Order: sequence, then structure tokens, then C-alpha cells
Amino acid sequence: MGDWEGAPPVVDVRSLHVRFGEVEAVAGVDLRAYAGQATALLGRNGAGKSTTMRVLAGVVPPTAGTVTVAGHDVRREPLAAKRAVGYCPDVGGLVPRATPWEHLQLSARLRRLDDWEERGRELLERFELGDAAHRVTAGFSHGMGRRLSVVLAALHRPAVLLLDEPFDGVDPIGVEATFEVIADARARGACVLVSTHLRELAVEACTSVTVLRGGSRVATVAADRMAGEEGARAYRGLLD
Amino acid sequence: MPTAASWTDARRAVADVGHLLWFRARQVRRGRGGRWVAPVFIAVTLGAAVVPALLPGAGGEGRAFELLLLLPSATAGFLLLAVVSAVASGGGRELLAREPASIHPLSPTTDHLGALLLAPLNISWLLQCWALLGTTAYALGPDRVAAAQPVLLAWVLAATAVAQVVAWSLEGVRRTAHGIAVVRLLAAALLGGGLVLQMNGALVPLLDRIPTRPLVVGMLSGWSWRWVATLLVVLAALLVAVVLGAVPAHLAARRSPRDEMRVETGRYAARPAPRSVLAGLVRTDRASVWRAVPMRRGLAVLALGPGVVAVLGDLPWSSLTVLPGLVASGGALLYGVNAWCLDARGALWRESLPVPAGAVFAARAYVLGEFLLAASLVTVALAATRAGVPSPAELTALVCTLVVVTVQVVAAALRWSAQRPYAVDLRSARATPAPPLTMVGYSTRLAVSTTLTGLVFSAFARLPDWQVAILAAVPFLCWSTARLLRTARAWTDPADRARVVMTVAA
Repeated sequence: MGDWEGAPPVVDVRSLHVRFGEVEAVAGVDLRAYAGQATALLGRNGAGKSTTMRVLAGVVPPTAGTVTVAGHDVRREPLAAKRAVGYCPDVGGLVPRATPWEHLQLSARLRRLDDWEERGRELLERFELGDAAHRVTAGFSHGMGRRLSVVLAALHRPAVLLLDEPFDGVDPIGVEATFEVIADARARGACVLVSTHLRELAVEACTSVTVLRGGSRVATVAADRMAGEEGARAYRGLLD
Repeated sequence: MPTAASWTDARRAVADVGHLLWFRARQVRRGRGGRWVAPVFIAVTLGAAVVPALLPGAGGEGRAFELLLLLPSATAGFLLLAVVSAVASGGGRELLAREPASIHPLSPTTDHLGALLLAPLNISWLLQCWALLGTTAYALGPDRVAAAQPVLLAWVLAATAVAQVVAWSLEGVRRTAHGIAVVRLLAAALLGGGLVLQMNGALVPLLDRIPTRPLVVGMLSGWSWRWVATLLVVLAALLVAVVLGAVPAHLAARRSPRDEMRVETGRYAARPAPRSVLAGLVRTDRASVWRAVPMRRGLAVLALGPGVVAVLGDLPWSSLTVLPGLVASGGALLYGVNAWCLDARGALWRESLPVPAGAVFAARAYVLGEFLLAASLVTVALAATRAGVPSPAELTALVCTLVVVTVQVVAAALRWSAQRPYAVDLRSARATPAPPLTMVGYSTRLAVSTTLTGLVFSAFARLPDWQVAILAAVPFLCWSTARLLRTARAWTDPADRARVVMTVAA
């Protein structure tokens, strides 16, 4: 895949390695993602998708390689990189005894947002969480938790939106709302990365697809090439 | 669902406890000192049961005889504290946490037996057991100790099983429509009744009439029919309590835990946005602590229990310096020794927020410190109601102890939190922040260090010069602060932080 209109990549990952003790979770991933585009990360369990997302979000430091997010090296300028990112983690991602509104307040405070309440309420309503805004998240269903994680990632209109398994266990209304968030982000020039196992949804939401296998990138293709039966066969071919 | 478990169910439950124990044992991280844990505990228990009997004066007329007179009250006290501990933890500890256990066909009988097995893995249970064994050995001397200790050990186990029956029964009541209010009223009535009895001088005569005297007489009887009868009665009580406990355990399991449901389904009014970054972090951490059932319930017991005991025992100011360490250690064991688990799976999201790691650490340390200090202050305030007017030296020593042990415990707890994080769900009143054996290790280390600190300052409280305690507090504070700052520096390492975050979010 070439550079979009010659613009520099917003997310630039070169030869990324992440090692946890004896396990090499990511073994030399190269990835570029651009403003106004949405890239899907596909691959089997343990392919390194979530770990790559965690590195981009500044949660896990890279063992080797360079990772730049919105022009900031995640190793040398972690706070600047985090300011540019909105992250929906793959598991939970919510503080169990805080309410959705308290999550939004904390995020807004740490990101120095002013006048965010209107957008916060609008996002909660869009994801049908308005009634649960003041209940602690420990009592939420899995799908409610996923939807709130997307809301938290999108609140501050980040330059880089990282959604890890945003559709997992989410009902059709939540999936549509997530599509809207991705479309809005692209429309304002943000770079979106979506990690998921749901190929058809990834194809629908994204412009390109990167397939990881065994901690490395094996292909990056236009999203429409992964659509339908033909795309399913091509995807299976990349997994084996 | 039948409440009385059938014989087949009971056999199945016993077998399941074995399977769960095997599963838990596979998860134990065996460190350098791990292999010494069991031999050390056996050695300490044997030492407590035998060595005091060999000391000069053991079994004699003086101090030993005074201790002998106290044995009935001491054995009853063990039962009382076992009940308080089991009730506070909502029926005892879980052999397997609620969420992973939910996918298995485990019966409440298994849960009951598992809680019974875990009850001794608790430093307060162990310390009381060792103290009882040691007191008995010294009171009876070398000639009668061999016959007495088996009866005492059987009593300790029976008291633990009876406490479990009471705890399941109260948990069943607590889960009814107005159960929480009923249990609170009952606790208040018992505490108030005890205080009134003490104020009227009726407590000691009442203690003299408690039915543990025949137990002690049986222990004293040597190798006789009375000794055999006493042992058989106690063993029968143990067996009956173990079996009977399954009934209220089944009853409690049928009902939803109301405390936890109230926290999870209740609404919390929105507050104005926090004024600063640190205020925002502190507010989130406070919510995680004060909205957790095990923390609220545990802190109430910790704050009130030692304070009431101090009032009943009429402790002087110079002895009150031991209390803050006891309470702070217990408070840290509620969540502080695995402080990062408060965020659970939200740790991944929190770590992605643009805030310096040092600020996150400072907020966590502050919230833990105020949690411990709040409990200690309640205890001291209660104890002070009967201790009279303190001298300047006594007051200074107590204030210094409060500050020193709080910093000491916060430093130790946050150090362990970073070194050994665990993924723990603290929603249940029965949850603990680390596995049982690890908790025993933590509690032992905390109890030793804070008790020694308390004793040192107790000595300063008896000195005429009040400035001595302040001067002595300086090196204590410097040492603990240095350790806390070293942990804070380590927390700024992204690789170390990622290890902790990924573990607690797992």
C-alpha cells in the first residue's frame, strides 16, 4: 500500500519487537497508517494485534524498533503520544467502581478538555448509555463495557483512534454507533486502527487491512479485497 | 434446592475441595523461601505448644496460676474473634474466586469446606492459636502439657467451625430484605451491651460464668476418663459444626449478596469536575476503595474492634501505641498489598491516559495513607475515651506512632504491590488481594514490624521527656520515606509498570 496523497504516516511502526520474558509477542511488525484512513488489524489469537495496539497506546514499551504516533516517539515522548491517542483496550478497560461519567471526568481533566460535557452526554446517548451514566461499571454487561470503552476513546477527538475488539459482544446498535465514531474520526482527518476478529465488520469500517501472523505483518491490502467469499478465502490463506 | 446435603453430595463436595486445593497449589509461586513455609509454621506451632512449659515458673503458683485462671476467658475469646473474622469476610475466604468458580458445578458445601480450610491461613488466627498454646503450656507446666494441648487444638478447630456456622447464618440473614440493617443492629447491640456491662463492672463476673470452664477442667485432668470425655465432646462439636455449616451455606447461596448488588446497581450523583490532575486521580482511587464492600466492612471491623477491646481492657495511654500498627497492618491487607488491582481491567485504559506516572503513584499512596490513618484514628479515639488524660510524652508518642506506622505500612504495601501484582476481583466481601499463603507472609511481616515500632514508642511514652518520641520518629520516617520514594522511582519505569498493569488487567 502506498502513502496516501504523499502525506507522512500518522502511525509509523518500524521493526517492532515486544518480548515478555521468553515469549516474543511481536516479532518485527512494520506498519504505517495515515490521516483520514481506517486500518484494520486482522489475525489469529496471539498474532500480536493487541500487543501492537498497547504499544501504540503507550501501555507497553517496545522492546526494540521505533514507534511514532502523531509525530511523537512513544519511547521518548510517551505523554505527548498519549495525548494524541484515544484507546479502547481489548479487555474491559473500565475501572470497576467508577461510573461512566466519572471516567469521562477523569479523562477530560487529564487531557485538559474544556466544555466536554455536551459531547460526553451526546456520545453516551449515541451508545445508549445515558441511563447508566451514574452507575458503577462493575454491574455492566460485557457489551455495555465495550461501548463505554469506545466512548472514552472518542471523547477528546484524538488524532489517532485505537479500537481493540470494539465489536466484541456488542449489539447492532452499538456496532452502528462505533461505525459512526470511526466515520467521524476519518472525516476530521484522524487516523483509525481497528483490531478485530470480525473480518466483515472490519472490511465495512476500514479502508485497508493489515494481517498479522505469529507476531509479524504478512500483508496489507485494500479493505475491499477482504470482502465476501473471495476475501474470506484470501484471509484464510494468509492465516495458514 | 434441598438445604440438607445428601451423603453423596457431601462426598462429592469433599472430593471437589481436593480438586480445588490441587488447582490452587499449582498456582502458588514458589520463591526462594517458599519451601520453608510449612516447616517454619510447624516448628513455631510445636515451639508455642511445648517451649513455654519448660520455662522457669511454668505450672507454678505465681504468674502461671494467674494465666490458668484466665484460660476459660482466653478460649472463649478465641471463639469470639473467630466469629468476628468469619462474619466480616462474609462467610470466610474463597478457595476459588467467584468468577472463575461460576463455570464449575461447585456446591455451597464445597465453598463451606474450602472456607473452613482457609480460615487458619490468617495471621490473626495463627497468632491467637499460638498465644493460646503458649499460655496453656506455661500455665500447666511440663507434667500436664502433653494431655492439655490435644484438647486445646481440638477446641481451636471446633471454635473455627462454629464461627463458620455463625458466619454463614448471619450472611444468610444479611441477604434478606432488611438483613443489612438487622445485622448492623445486632452488632451495635452486642458492642453496646459489652460496654454497658464493663461500665457497671458486670463483665468480669459474666466472663467467670462462661461455659468454657469445663473445657479447661478437662484439659487439666491429665490422662483420665474426664479428659477422654472432654476431648470426645469437643471433637463431636467440631464434627457437628462442620456438617451443620453446610445448611446455612446453602441458604446463603440461594440469596443474592445485597451489599454488593447495592454498590453495583446504585446511582452516584455527578460531582463537579475535579480541580486538578491529582484531585482527579485521588477521587477515582477513593471511589475504588470506599465503594468496595470488603474494604468498607473490613475497615469498620478493624477500626471498631481493637478500640472496643482497648476500652473493655482499660488500656493505658502508654499501651495504645500498639493499636495504630495493628489497625494499619490490617487495613493494608484489605487491598494495599496489591494496590494496583483497584483498577482491575481498567488499568489498561488508565495507563493510556496522558498523566505522569509519578502523579498516579502519589495519588495511590495518598489514598492508601488516608484509608489507614482514618481507621487508626477511629480506634485511638475509641480507646482514648477510657484512658483518661494523657501526659505530653504519652500523647506525643501516640501521634508519632500514628505517623510512623502509616508511612511504614504504605511504603511496604506499595513495594509489594509493584513486586507481586495479582489480578483480583475485589467486588465480593470474601475477596482478598492476594492468595492465602502470600497473605500470611504479608501479614506476618507487617505485624512484626509495626508491633515492634509500637512497642518502641510505648517505651518512649513512659519517659518524662516528650521530645524523645519526636527525635526517635525522625529516623523511622526517613527510612520508610526513602523506601517509598524508591518504589515511586521504580514505578516510573515503563517496562515495570507494563508488567504490573498487564497482570492486574488479566
